[in-house]
Amino acid sequence: MNEPTIVSFLCNWCSYEGADKAGNARLEYPANIRPIRVMCSGRVDTELVLQAFREGASGVLILGCHPGDCHYKKGNYKTRRRMLLLRKALAQFGVEPERVKVDWVAAGEGERFAKVANEMAETIRELGPLRLPLSG
Amino acid sequence: MAERIGVFVCKCGPNIGDRIDVDSVVAEAEGIEDVVTAKSHNLLCSEDGIRFLQEEIRKGGLTRVVIAACTPKQYEQKFMRACEGVGLNPYLLQMTNIREQCAWVTPDPAQATAKAKSLVRAATMRATLQEPIEKKEIEIHPDVLVVGSGVAGLEATLTLAQKGRKVYLLEKSPCIGGLGARFEEVYQTMECAPCMLAPELQEVLQKENIEAITYGELEGVVGSYGNFTVKIRRKARYVSEEACIGCSACFEPCPVEVSNEFDEGLSKRKAIYIPFAGALPNVPVIDEANCIKLKGGECNACQEACPFDAIDFDDQDRIEEKRVGAIILATGSTQFNPSSLAQYGYGRFDNVLTGLELERLNASNGPTGGKILLKDGREPRSVAFVYCVGRKEKGHCSGICCMYSVKLAHLLKEKIPGVEVYSFYTDLCLPKKEHQRLYEEVVEKGVEFIRSNGSERVSRDGKGLVVEYKADSTSKSLAVDMVVLAPAIEPNPDTAKLAAILDIPLDERGFFSEEHPLMKSFGTPLEGVFIAGCCQGPKDIGDAVAQGGAAAGRILSRLIPGEKLELEPIVAVIDEEICGGCNTCISICPYSAISRDEEKKVAVVDDTLCRGCGTCVAACPTGAARAKHFTNEEIFAEIREVVR
Ligand SMILES: Cc1cc2nc3c(=O)[nH]c(=O)nc-3n(C[C@H](O)[C@H](O)[C@H](O)COP(=O)(O)OP(=O)(O)OC[C@H]3O[C@@H](n4cnc5c(N)ncnc54)[C@H](O)[C@@H]3O)c2cc1C
Ligand code: SF4
Ligand code: SF4
Ligand code: FES
Repeated sequence: MNEPTIVSFLCNWCSYEGADKAGNARLEYPANIRPIRVMCSGRVDTELVLQAFREGASGVLILGCHPGDCHYKKGNYKTRRRMLLLRKALAQFGVEPERVKVDWVAAGEGERFAKVANEMAETIRELGPLRLPLSG
Repeated sequence: MAERIGVFVCKCGPNIGDRIDVDSVVAEAEGIEDVVTAKSHNLLCSEDGIRFLQEEIRKGGLTRVVIAACTPKQYEQKFMRACEGVGLNPYLLQMTNIREQCAWVTPDPAQATAKAKSLVRAATMRATLQEPIEKKEIEIHPDVLVVGSGVAGLEATLTLAQKGRKVYLLEKSPCIGGLGARFEEVYQTMECAPCMLAPELQEVLQKENIEAITYGELEGVVGSYGNFTVKIRRKARYVSEEACIGCSACFEPCPVEVSNEFDEGLSKRKAIYIPFAGALPNVPVIDEANCIKLKGGECNACQEACPFDAIDFDDQDRIEEKRVGAIILATGSTQFNPSSLAQYGYGRFDNVLTGLELERLNASNGPTGGKILLKDGREPRSVAFVYCVGRKEKGHCSGICCMYSVKLAHLLKEKIPGVEVYSFYTDLCLPKKEHQRLYEEVVEKGVEFIRSNGSERVSRDGKGLVVEYKADSTSKSLAVDMVVLAPAIEPNPDTAKLAAILDIPLDERGFFSEEHPLMKSFGTPLEGVFIAGCCQGPKDIGDAVAQGGAAAGRILSRLIPGEKLELEPIVAVIDEEICGGCNTCISICPYSAISRDEEKKVAVVDDTLCRGCGTCVAACPTGAARAKHFTNEEIFAEIREVVR
């Protein structure tokens, strides 16, 4: 318990269902993965990610449909690009870029969801809680 | 006024109840501001559960409802209807998933319970901020756009028009009818193709509710099923369709001669032309690329010759927008170019033709008026067909080449008494109920079928040609006057262009990909967009017509005039007070749903087109774009509670 929280934005069409499939299969991943449903990963802008850090999250996981499968055509590409830039900016502020991760989980990929969630949890466990130079 | 929030935690029998301490989750909810009632239930989705929920909403005068239960993918709709049933706007409900994404994946009950509490807090704080959303409906557009006027497009158009539908039939070339209009006879009936098509073509041009747009192209499509806006480019014809009576007086004086693509380059045409004799509509076009005047030179020979003042050099492309409910693509296919396979000598030796070229030579509206002649004007005394050209390269059997080659062999035997005809094949594909019979008939007429191993090689010998081949393991050769190749059918280049415009997939061969190859070969994955004929894959006229009819039938049974279409309620809105008019959202919206209000200098969302992806919200630098039901404030509230 009390592992640092990972805010996980899940797109409605693929990754949210992928997370459900992980549940159906009774796969396990840490409870600090906290899902928030959005319609598309393309809805996730840097503001939402920074807000998560500001509120005390230690990691942000953004999951969308696989490239080419976004329900709204290309939202996932847009977010991937946006987050690449954000990761660079974060690094300049001394925040480990690994704290923001964009990945793809299809609606049927319960196993993959659990794997990605566990890996992210492991990354954040190793990095430890985020001490924010940004806040205030 | 403070909200009156009800929080309902479902035990889902043992599924949630055994892992999560539901009572303590309820207690947590009770402590949240504005929560007036928090209760658990054993099975909220049951009839009893729904009754309980509705009773609680009514009794408690609830203004917001939070349900912590299974995934919203399962029963969110049901719970929304339950709220609606007792007068609560369904968008004031928020579900949170404490089964699939909590109880079932978190083995430790204490951790599962803590996570469930945080999810319930997040949902509750979010619910406070949610706003009612009214459902919107629009009337569907029953009109249909058919792209391509070959047999498939014709059948679709006429089927729809018969039922009174308005149909826009868009054809890229200057005339309607597709490939079929360029054949003399067609298997399996061996009837005259232009005669078979003539009544259909006439009907298309005359029927009031069909607007045939020739020499036009599809430039863009926005919208979705029931409500597409299509952008059509009417290319400048430079000849008025109203004034021209089709007297042909303008052709003769035109000094320009270029190769005629409608005769596969076997004849010449002028810069002002109709594709072939009898092409409909009988109105010429001026070919911009070759006309002296339109290239800036001095000439107006056609204008002087025209007795009806129909030539208009100032004509311009026009862009028109039409609203339609469905689109049928029937753009046909093209043929593999055999010149890329040097062994056949195509393009290098005279009298090596493709089947389509022989079709044109044989056609009375073709370059020789239907006389099958060699390049030097003699009649061929011997002809060899080579089947399956490019089959290996393309990786598919086109299914029609054997039959049209059999047909052409039949025609040769009828037209040129005593002509020797040989057919080199590796496999024969004669699948339909009449095809075998036609094959047997030509065998009887003396056409010799030679099974080879597919290694035919064509060379020149003096004036004639020689086919070297291998059959029964021995190398042989045969001297002939003419060689006719049957190249594989492949997608035409417009297929990929249209797929990009409509955002529909292609299959691995580059044809349009069907919704289901067996059950819905005429559908695409995009609702309201259909495919028919050879643009879906090689096929003969009968099969192309069947698909055109099937697509039209599907539209007639599903897209009913007067019916309403429910619009996506979760859309984006742009606050015109905040919008800086930067246009970022306009360029980024995947559905072209945002346009610019030039007067106010702001962006506006068309909520008949918006699908609510939120891309514009994420991209908007000013915060003017808001996603209904997924506002920043709502998501911020969730974030705050899940990390707490
Ligand atoms: C040599 C040869 C002989 C054949 N003989 C026979 C036969 O005897 N019997 C038989 O049953 N079948 C025969 N076939 C097959 C037959 O030609 C096809 O089945 C038939 O033409 C398919 O019709 P379609 O409507 O799909 O396409 P097409 O007839 O090719 O028509 C497609 C139309 O779409 C138009 N178009 C293309 N792109 C666009 C665009 N972007 N926008 C607007 N319009 C566009 C084209 O200009 C064309 O008018 C033969 C084929 C060949 C090659
Ligand atoms: S202007 Fe001259 S070149 Fe152009 S179509 Fe008329 S006659 Fe031909
Ligand atoms: S939410 Fe924005 S980007 Fe997405 S469809 Fe609607 S207007 Fe376009
Ligand atoms: S809908 Fe899944 S990433 Fe866009």
